[in-house]
Amino acid sequence: MINLFWSGLLVALLLSGCGWDGTATRNNDFTPLTSIEIVAISSTIAAHTSTRLSVKGNFSGLYTRDITDQATWSSDSPSVAGFTTLTSPSRVTGLVPGAAILTATVGSITTNFNLTVSPATIATMTITPANPSIAMGLNTQFAASGTFSDSTTQDLTFDAAWSSSAPDTATVSDSAGTKGFAQAMAVGSATISATFDGISGTTLLTVTEAVLQSLTVSPASTSILSLSSTNFQATGHYSDGSTADITSQAAWASSRADVATIAGGAATTLSQGTSSIRATLDGISGTSNLKVTGGNLTGITLSPANPRLVKDTTGRMTASGSFSNGTSRDITDAVEWTLANTAIANVTTPGGNLAWLNALAVTPASAPVAITAKSGTITASTNLTVTAPLLQSITIFPSSLELTDKTGARFSVTAGFNDGTTQDVTANTEWTSSAGTIASVANSGLAKGRVSAVAAGSATINAAYGGRTASAVVTVRTRNIQSLAISAASSVVVSGNQVKYTATANYSDGTSADVTEDSTWTIDKPNVAVLADSQNQPGQIVAVDSGSAILTAGFNGQTQTVTVTVP
Amino acid sequence: MKRTCQIIIALCLPLLLCGPVRAQHSGPYVGAFIGGNALMDAESSDDLGSFSLKFDPALQGSAVLGWDFEPGNPVGEGRIELEYTRRSNPLDKVKFAEGSFKGGGNVTTDSLLLNFFGVFRDDRPWAPYVGVGIGAARIEASDLQVTGQPMSNDSNFVFAYQLGIGVDFALTKRLNLDLGYRFFGSTKPRFAETNGHKFAMDYFSHSAVLGLRVGF
Repeated sequence: MINLFWSGLLVALLLSGCGWDGTATRNNDFTPLTSIEIVAISSTIAAHTSTRLSVKGNFSGLYTRDITDQATWSSDSPSVAGFTTLTSPSRVTGLVPGAAILTATVGSITTNFNLTVSPATIATMTITPANPSIAMGLNTQFAASGTFSDSTTQDLTFDAAWSSSAPDTATVSDSAGTKGFAQAMAVGSATISATFDGISGTTLLTVTEAVLQSLTVSPASTSILSLSSTNFQATGHYSDGSTADITSQAAWASSRADVATIAGGAATTLSQGTSSIRATLDGISGTSNLKVTGGNLTGITLSPANPRLVKDTTGRMTASGSFSNGTSRDITDAVEWTLANTAIANVTTPGGNLAWLNALAVTPASAPVAITAKSGTITASTNLTVTAPLLQSITIFPSSLELTDKTGARFSVTAGFNDGTTQDVTANTEWTSSAGTIASVANSGLAKGRVSAVAAGSATINAAYGGRTASAVVTVRTRNIQSLAISAASSVVVSGNQVKYTATANYSDGTSADVTEDSTWTIDKPNVAVLADSQNQPGQIVAVDSGSAILTAGFNGQTQTVTVTVP
Repeated sequence: MKRTCQIIIALCLPLLLCGPVRAQHSGPYVGAFIGGNALMDAESSDDLGSFSLKFDPALQGSAVLGWDFEPGNPVGEGRIELEYTRRSNPLDKVKFAEGSFKGGGNVTTDSLLLNFFGVFRDDRPWAPYVGVGIGAARIEASDLQVTGQPMSNDSNFVFAYQLGIGVDFALTKRLNLDLGYRFFGSTKPRFAETNGHKFAMDYFSHSAVLGLRVGF
């Protein structure tokens, strides 16, 4: 062990001491400057035009460097050519025809340059690029070139006066240092003009719609479970600085189709792994990293097994998945449900982890119909038998309830038939309350039979099925809540496992009530853990990826949190 | 230079795999070492930018005064010593933005370190050791030049440290031949340039040393 410690320490320190091979940014100013040279585009310029000079320094014959910024300038004939541009000290302007000797000085070193100012006059002016099109928000640099009476040409970008016919569409700078620099402001066209000594050149600048310049995909990285789905958003950033949601316009691709597929920004995960999600529009792409956790599906278990239903009733089906990392979770919403004979029964999936099996017709004797749940290559089947016995009785359970205001509880109804069988028909029962202002009862979907205590008093809950009725009394009491507690078997949850949390309300009179289904549940880090199904499985979470997340329950003005740790 | 550096490391690492064993001599000792050192290319910077200094390898000399722990010592088997070392590396080249230029002068280091070595002894006549040292160094930019022009002539005191590994050969009970490798580093010394700026440079060197220690 001690050897390992020394080895690690030594390697880390020694490799850090293996020398620098970076790029030097400092100039060598130790080697003396021995000569300088003035560099110009031309030694002749027309009167009233200018040209920028530069100075190249020679350092002891070892290297050269542009040292224009260190030079001072003078002219022996300032009336012929002079350095009159304050913003550009190295720019010389020809004032009248003639000759001038220009001098540059750096330190104690000077050099001369013979400049001739010609009497040529401008004949034509040309602007380049000619008739360009640029997208709104972008810019371009124009250059002006003059042809003179002596057939010479000269760059007049600095000396010309620049203007735009439509500054709202495109502007062009006439300021020293940025002359000819155009910016596209709005869709349309503008004539860009450069004028020198009364001669103008023009070009038409067309400004097109803003173009996409970059694309970002959000979230930039995310972790989700296998056999689940998530949405990505593509945001386009345009040349005019605007942004737009281009999720539906972009072409989407997943780098690992075996890990996740994606269409229209909606990703469906298949197996554990990572995939790069790419959105592309007009050749511009953006990517996001998708990490799929929770193991690979190895088996499906259907519940209940071999269900029996009475014709025209409904039963709930659940698919539980077993995964390669040893975890299991509800995958009812992730599987594809099929029935061998849809005239006998069908499956409806209203959303979340909820699947209803609807019995439509009686199965022939000894010929149950197969129900199959499929995900990829994994399937599970069970047999449904539908019968049509005569209803003999219904029973409501419990026969009475005592509730605290703002809490709820469930009633169920069991039907007894003439063949001796019974069946939970809660989902097929019509539910009513004699006093909805005291206790209301839900009469749709999975919530059927669920009573909500509204205010103190008593109410009768009536259940009607198959022409028969049953009733139960609900007594509602008002209590003052003191605290809310959250409990679970464990707050350490392996990625892919589903865990149920319970919220308990504690009241001032010493009583308590399970308010798991009455609480509002939220979790702060979906990359760590998510709510299993906020509609149908309140209080249940599924661990996603390593980290810690805060699970919060809110009830009757109280909130409580618990930390969920995913190792 | 990086490849050379990595080869040195690779050659020395197997020494760390030797097993711990018993000590021989205990008590005070003195010693002298001589060796070669390679001063790594040094990133340097001042307020005008960064540049690098490349040095030639050079000889180094050390003198040590220490104490061999007796076998079974509760702090472990090994030795503690005070080490003085002098290194002086000629400046070969200086790399600026324009390219590399011929250098001149030396960077000379006088260091005083307190070293702690753990020795892994058994009945064999040789024993591997590893150790660390901390202390101070005076680093002198002695007449540094670029293309024959003066660059710096200054000195600086800095915190210094050292890592060492090697093998002791017991020639007699009191006389040991020591073959070792040392990695020496320091905080960045800052030197005045002739043009008024000040530059800071990295200082890391690798050394191979051969020495004799005499116990008494």
